[in-house]
Amino acid sequence: MTTAEEHPKPEEEKTWEPKILAFLCNWCSYAGADLAGISRIQYPPNIRIVRVPCSGRVNPFYLIKSLQAGWDGVLVSGCHPGDCHYISGNLVARRRFAIIKDILEFMGIAPGRLNFSWVSAAEGEKFSKVVKEVVEKVKKLGPNKKLVKE
Amino acid sequence: MESLQNSMREIVRNLLTEHKIDLAIGYEKGTLPLRTSPCFVTKEGEIQKLVWNSCCDLDLTKYLFKPENQNKKIGIIVKGCDARALTVCIAEKQIERNKTFIIGMPCLGIIDKKKVEAAVAPKEILEVKVIDDQIIVKGKDFERTLSKKDYLQTSCLACRYNNPPIYDALVGGKPLELPSEIDWDKIIAEFEAKSPEERWAYFSELLKDCIKCYACRNACPLCYCKECFVDQTQPQWVGKTTDISDIMFYHIVRAFHVAGRCTGCGACTRACPMNIDLRLLSKKLEKIIKDRYNLEAGLNPEEPPAMGAHKAEDPQEFITEGH
Amino acid sequence: MKEKFLQKEQFPKFINELMNRYPVYAPIKKNGFHVFEKISSPKIIDLEYSNTKIPPKELFFPRAETLFSYAKSKEGIDLIQDSHPDETRVILGIRPCDVLSFLLLDKFFNSGKFQDPYYQKRRENSLIIGLLCADPQSTCFCTSTGGSPFSEAGMDISLTDLEDKYLVKSLNIKGDQLLEQIPWLGTASERDIFDATRRAKKALASIKTEIPIEKLSDKLEKLFNNDAFWSPFSQKCINCGSCSFLCPTCHCFDVVDEKTSTGGKRIRLWDTCQFTLFTQHGSGHNPRPTGKERIRQRIMHKFCYYPKTLNEIGCVGCGRCIRVCSVNQDIRSIFKAVQEVEGG
Repeated sequence: MTTAEEHPKPEEEKTWEPKILAFLCNWCSYAGADLAGISRIQYPPNIRIVRVPCSGRVNPFYLIKSLQAGWDGVLVSGCHPGDCHYISGNLVARRRFAIIKDILEFMGIAPGRLNFSWVSAAEGEKFSKVVKEVVEKVKKLGPNKKLVKE
Repeated sequence: MESLQNSMREIVRNLLTEHKIDLAIGYEKGTLPLRTSPCFVTKEGEIQKLVWNSCCDLDLTKYLFKPENQNKKIGIIVKGCDARALTVCIAEKQIERNKTFIIGMPCLGIIDKKKVEAAVAPKEILEVKVIDDQIIVKGKDFERTLSKKDYLQTSCLACRYNNPPIYDALVGGKPLELPSEIDWDKIIAEFEAKSPEERWAYFSELLKDCIKCYACRNACPLCYCKECFVDQTQPQWVGKTTDISDIMFYHIVRAFHVAGRCTGCGACTRACPMNIDLRLLSKKLEKIIKDRYNLEAGLNPEEPPAMGAHKAEDPQEFITEGH
Repeated sequence: MKEKFLQKEQFPKFINELMNRYPVYAPIKKNGFHVFEKISSPKIIDLEYSNTKIPPKELFFPRAETLFSYAKSKEGIDLIQDSHPDETRVILGIRPCDVLSFLLLDKFFNSGKFQDPYYQKRRENSLIIGLLCADPQSTCFCTSTGGSPFSEAGMDISLTDLEDKYLVKSLNIKGDQLLEQIPWLGTASERDIFDATRRAKKALASIKTEIPIEKLSDKLEKLFNNDAFWSPFSQKCINCGSCSFLCPTCHCFDVVDEKTSTGGKRIRLWDTCQFTLFTQHGSGHNPRPTGKERIRQRIMHKFCYYPKTLNEIGCVGCGRCIRVCSVNQDIRSIFKAVQEVEGG
């Protein structure tokens, strides 16, 4: 869902690349990303990774603060339900993320800026696909201007 | 109403004289028209100060958290919405159920003083009498009669629980059967049909007068954290200025923190000196929790609130699968 | 001193003349309350109000103010002094109590060794046109704090509402100079002046609250350690801070540094002694740990410390704290309780 205001101007369009911040859980998603790297699977370089012990560690503050700092999109990725290294951290994260995403999207942050995925340590290919999908989504939305504080 | 007030006073009298409680928290007549003030009763002689009327708007649950009230057996006067907030605090193990004697009151619908003031502004209201369904407002050189049902708090117009869900004593009498006049589902659906730009513009406009006084947080019975995120400096999460970004951040996070716990009591709206009404957001929160997890805040003191639990089968339609 | 009159139909013309020369700030009506804002047209001014929600102190001491910013450069750090308004402006429609509050704030921001340049500049550059009170509210007690509904202290020009016109009085050279720029204002007649005096007497008589506030400071000093006295008030208070944020004389502030993408900025913000962190020490100790100490502080500061150190009462009797308090804590009840304490 894009609007005229969210779309970057034509001259900038060719040069603008979204910046996506990714919070990856150490045991599954980070390892999955690592596997993608080792397997030489190409994925867009727009992503910057922050390693967290568990997706349940991700405080909704990080997501809002990222938008405030000017990141165009956020990805939180953890172990599949049932496989969390800390048993249920990812289940906590799932509820939390659902709520913060619903709130932010209700208030007018474009759907597609906040993303959540399950990527296991063996899913290098999947990780690259997730990143590609997120980058494409955010690229269509244009630069994030809402909540940004200079 | 007199009889309700008298029954309430009797219950408090019995509790105090039988030493079942050390302190009773209720409402007393305010110093301004349409106001009541919290009343703390420890002696029989003070019981006469307690009142019950359509101006008893405050959520008294807040006072159970005061340091001087810890370790006391407290009797508290609650309406349906207050009792639900109290139930959330009990479910979260912040208030001890067996130290709290809950005196449930049938709610007559609470008058919104801001609406009444706006009706006669800029004239000052000097005296108000509420007789059944009529509000008689008097000033220096005017007198007007208003229909009470047109001047109720917005939360009362969508009230579904005007009977306290938990109580130790329920003062007799039927609560006011308020037709749920506001269809929040419809209002939310209409709002969601707008574009993200329009929605962001709506909230930015609504919140631009916020002076970050945090009265909403202080008035909310669920905001009991000893250290609020606003006060954290290592790291500093939310800027302290009135830049719209900081204002939005604060309200987004406070909404998130009361998700699944907010009962729509309206204390935040009443306390706001700038008359900001974030009811749309809090109603949406209630809807999210209901739709996703089939939970409603404040009905069951045994059940942990939505954000304090998780299930294996929680909905996850938002997961990015990577196609 | 000049005494002129302004017909109400001519009010927009008057405002336009002012706007041609200076930015004009006046009360406008918002969502159920009034605030002072820079106006774009005389049409949005609303003088049918008792008092603004946010006191006009914010025009001199804003809610959040960037003191300066800094940016990283090749040479190191560039300090950027943010430009502060240098232009003269007119503030119109301020009530006598709020104007008196400026005189009190001057003692804090503008006195002796320590001069606050941000506040000072705004004060020097402001022309104050006050609006005298014909109809004080029941919560007003300016007469108990050394003011009055028709006090002109601190104003450059005063306006009195005479139903179909305003009496416009200049009170000093600044006021004279402004009125000279609007020569079409007619000279007020004896009748106008008599009418104004009559209204002043009526307004004065309508203020029912009489509190011997000066006598309270000694009693308050003795009550400092009296827990039983302060308990009933601290019991009710939820420390929301509305009273001090909306108080025209409260002036405490916090200074914070915030990072930006290029460097940072230093910001001054309103703070209140009612917030828990106000007196939190770096060590973790807090000398005012509970609401009791904090509410005591507010009363002591305004009605005991101020009189004893500055010979002023730290309050102008506007009544905002009474109206805005979420729990209807009425400062008049506190005064009454102090008066009733024996001895002193």
